Amino acid sequence: MTWRLALASAVGGAAAWLTTACADRAVAGDRPLQQSVHGRSRGVSSGDVAGTIAESALAIRNMTREPGALATVVAVTVRGWTGPGGRPFEVTLRTPGQTPAHARRFGTVTLRNSARTRAPNVGQYPCTSCHLGKRLTMSAKRVRDAHQNIKAPHPVQTGGACSTCHAADNVELLALKSGERATLDHTYRLCAQCHFSQADAWASGAHGKRLDGWQGRRVVMGCADCHDPHKPAIEPRIPFRAPRIERVRGHDE
Amino acid sequence: MSADLFQSPPNGDDDGTVLQKRVDRRRALGILIGGMAAGTQAVSACSPLSAATDEERELKHLEWQEFIQKHYRRMTEAERAETVVRIERLAKLRLGVNVTIDTTGAQPGVLFGYAFNISKCRGYRSCIEACINENNLDRAADTQYIRIFEMKDGPVDLDAATATYEHEVPAAGHFYFGTQCFQCANPPCVPVCPVGATWQEPDGIVVIDYNWCVGCRMCMSACPYWARRFNWSVPEVPAEVVNPNQHYLGNRARRKGVVEKCTFCIHRTRHGRLPACAEACPTGARVFGNLLDPNSEIRWILANKRIFRLKEDLETEPRFWYFSD
Amino acid sequence: MHFRAFLLSALRSVTSGERRYHLWMGSLTAIMLIGAYGYSVQVSHGLGVTGMSDHVSWGLYISNFAFLVGVAAAAVILVQPAYVLKDVDFGRAVLIAEGVAVSALVMCLAFVMANSPGTPTKWWRLTPVIGLLNWPSSMLAWDVIMLNGYLVLNIVIPFYILYSHFTGREPERKKYVPFIYVSVVWAVSIHLVTAFLFAGLPARPFWNSALLGPRFLASAFTAGPAFMILLLGFIRSQTTYDISEKAIAKLATATTVAAQVNIVMLISELFFKFYSPTKHNINARYLFLGVDEHHALVPWIWTGIALNTVATIGLMIHPLRRNLRWLMVACAMLFVGIWIEKGVGLVIPGFIPTPLGEIVEYTPTWVEVTVTAGIWALGLFVLTVLVRVALPIELGQSRSPYIAGALDAPVVRPRTTRTYPKDVRPVRTR
Repeated sequence: MTWRLALASAVGGAAAWLTTACADRAVAGDRPLQQSVHGRSRGVSSGDVAGTIAESALAIRNMTREPGALATVVAVTVRGWTGPGGRPFEVTLRTPGQTPAHARRFGTVTLRNSARTRAPNVGQYPCTSCHLGKRLTMSAKRVRDAHQNIKAPHPVQTGGACSTCHAADNVELLALKSGERATLDHTYRLCAQCHFSQADAWASGAHGKRLDGWQGRRVVMGCADCHDPHKPAIEPRIPFRAPRIERVRGHDE
Repeated sequence: MSADLFQSPPNGDDDGTVLQKRVDRRRALGILIGGMAAGTQAVSACSPLSAATDEERELKHLEWQEFIQKHYRRMTEAERAETVVRIERLAKLRLGVNVTIDTTGAQPGVLFGYAFNISKCRGYRSCIEACINENNLDRAADTQYIRIFEMKDGPVDLDAATATYEHEVPAAGHFYFGTQCFQCANPPCVPVCPVGATWQEPDGIVVIDYNWCVGCRMCMSACPYWARRFNWSVPEVPAEVVNPNQHYLGNRARRKGVVEKCTFCIHRTRHGRLPACAEACPTGARVFGNLLDPNSEIRWILANKRIFRLKEDLETEPRFWYFSD
Repeated sequence: MHFRAFLLSALRSVTSGERRYHLWMGSLTAIMLIGAYGYSVQVSHGLGVTGMSDHVSWGLYISNFAFLVGVAAAAVILVQPAYVLKDVDFGRAVLIAEGVAVSALVMCLAFVMANSPGTPTKWWRLTPVIGLLNWPSSMLAWDVIMLNGYLVLNIVIPFYILYSHFTGREPERKKYVPFIYVSVVWAVSIHLVTAFLFAGLPARPFWNSALLGPRFLASAFTAGPAFMILLLGFIRSQTTYDISEKAIAKLATATTVAAQVNIVMLISELFFKFYSPTKHNINARYLFLGVDEHHALVPWIWTGIALNTVATIGLMIHPLRRNLRWLMVACAMLFVGIWIEKGVGLVIPGFIPTPLGEIVEYTPTWVEVTVTAGIWALGLFVLTVLVRVALPIELGQSRSPYIAGALDAPVVRPRTTRTYPKDVRPVRTR
């Protein structure tokens, strides 16, 4: 008889210990093992926790609200074109003086946003510093600075020359077929002459990159921000690491 | 002196009940008390009453409150504010990080839609990298909401696709195809939850109350797109890479034993910003917007491009369309 | 006071016995403690210590759950004829069947708790008013109601009958027969609802078929009575409790019919999945043939099918079925075969490959194996306790001392009317 009581109380004690230990570990087990509350400074007592937390949360909220990409990008309204639904939209400037705002930060990671590194997007600017009004006339001392490395498969393949796109009397301007001139901020006007379906998609949002949020002011990247007009093909690159497909075990093993 | 089933009952005063038995009460009592003492000792060693520091006591108190908290949808505004304060405090205690928990609701007149250009995706996986950082995903388990598949040019055949390519992209003769939670209009994961921990918000995002989820993983079996992930162990996010801008229904710290998934970066999109994947994509393959705005880019794409969705025959009505140039 | 006497008498029945009995209970307890240790590891570290993954998100626990719900439901095979049709032969066996149902349900609930991580107290979120029970949309919510209701029914009805016998009264038919009717329908429903858990998911084409519910019922009515035959045979050979050969023969017939239906349904499945294979049948291809270099389940499923087929054919041969020793072997084969087919052969292939075509295979870890063993030990423990309590009462050996005149009257022992076939071991008495 007595051994039965002993067995019952032992089992009862074991069960009590087990459930409490389990409950305790289950509730407390959400701390990753390397973090520990030991050795940390003492927290405030529960009484005034509510007040200080409310204040600090507000302060933190004001401090860490990220600026959007538009805080640092400069853009200009696209002339003569409308976005989907007839709304106007803006395109990022290509002339120097702007920061490469579309290198986005996500946590501590900064991702290159454009298909090629943007800065410096227009290397030697203004063009007229070398091309003194006439395309082939250059100041003698600047000869060695000339961008002779420019390979231009795009105009060559399409049977063009520099003058196909660049205005003959001012190489900083782009020559449109209609006779008009476009600045380097409005490259889309030139590209659209041949690539009209891509341009249509670009204006409507199916092609190219939008820089701000989905709501409000629509700012898109221009054609040359991704496609180098002289060598538009985008180079392959190494992707971010592959996912681990096999069964991934957690830290605690 | 036992009434054994397997033998004939004994004679005398023992007819099979314990009432006639002689018991050494002292011994019995001693054993019972000894057992109870041992049990109480074990209980008290684990209970909050014996927590060493104020902080530990506070932590246990907050964890208990977290355990008994109501379902998010049943909370009043005041209770939600209290919950926010508690979660921010828990983040400070557990990881030493100052976070802000947003509880912004859906904007009226907004229904989110997503379009993915399979001609433009080049398999860079920038979206995955951004998502991991933005959503505080478990680094130890390498949780990823997004999958990018590489397929040979031809039909969209996921069985022949690979997501583990490790070469320069894009590979010649291949195209790239991304999946994540599609926030279906007719989500099969929502009705199967036995405790109602997952539901669809008015702006279309299917969300989970992590503090209500019991971890049965019924929703994971129900999802036809393999969009949901489970925290099999304690998720590890080093304090220095935590994204402190969090939403209660989105990228706040999850515990082990709950399901999580892509929420279209609810902490960003409810304030008019793009989800991290769309913002990070260098090629502009990802287009995000408001389906209820007839002038939005997403609506233009749906009207003017050849679009399709995955597993249309299941009538889940995903709000994620694929198109090509 | 009757009730206190009942409890004390039950405690006595459970804690007293031969050495064999104590060894059995002791080893079950040891296995349960090992399982409890495994469970504590799982609770503190999370389910990462199991073999499950985002790809295969259900494993050994839900496999056993699906199998055991079937075993629990199959008690109805005895309940309905015994109480409703007043079948005399089954009358002695039905209480045992309800005991099997209770222990199987306890195991089912334990497996569901093991499958969901953390402390079991978090299931308060399932209760309707203070928590949120997503009924009627969620099949799991239905299952919770059905399983708990069936557990209550299978505790209340036998308890009423046993308690009445214990206090020297006849149980009143009008008090318990309505519940019997309910429990018959309920038993079939619990297993259909469990099948609907799986069949209602279009995301998983391996499960998403109309045949899954009927297959579940057919395999349940094979495995359940098979286990009952094994248990009743054991009781019959070890005690004076009278279970007639006719009862066992009828059970064997029921098992055989159900086993045949199970085989037919399997053939139907195989035809459906392999005659014109589509992308929806890749899971079946993985299970039966393997895909690329992944074929971990192929030996398992073919072993299960072989066991079922051989046992079914054997049972269809009358002389073999009437031979008690061969009957026991066949029932054991069926029980194991259906455990394989319905447990590992149903739940795991639903996840391989995933809906996006990725393949990650599944191997249970020591934690899962020990917890599973612990829960099976728990079920057998509960079953033994229930049988040990019920049999003395039903044999008339255990009665409340407070019955008028009980202390003076001699104990009544019913005479056994059974005859032993030549090849059955004679009863051992101490």
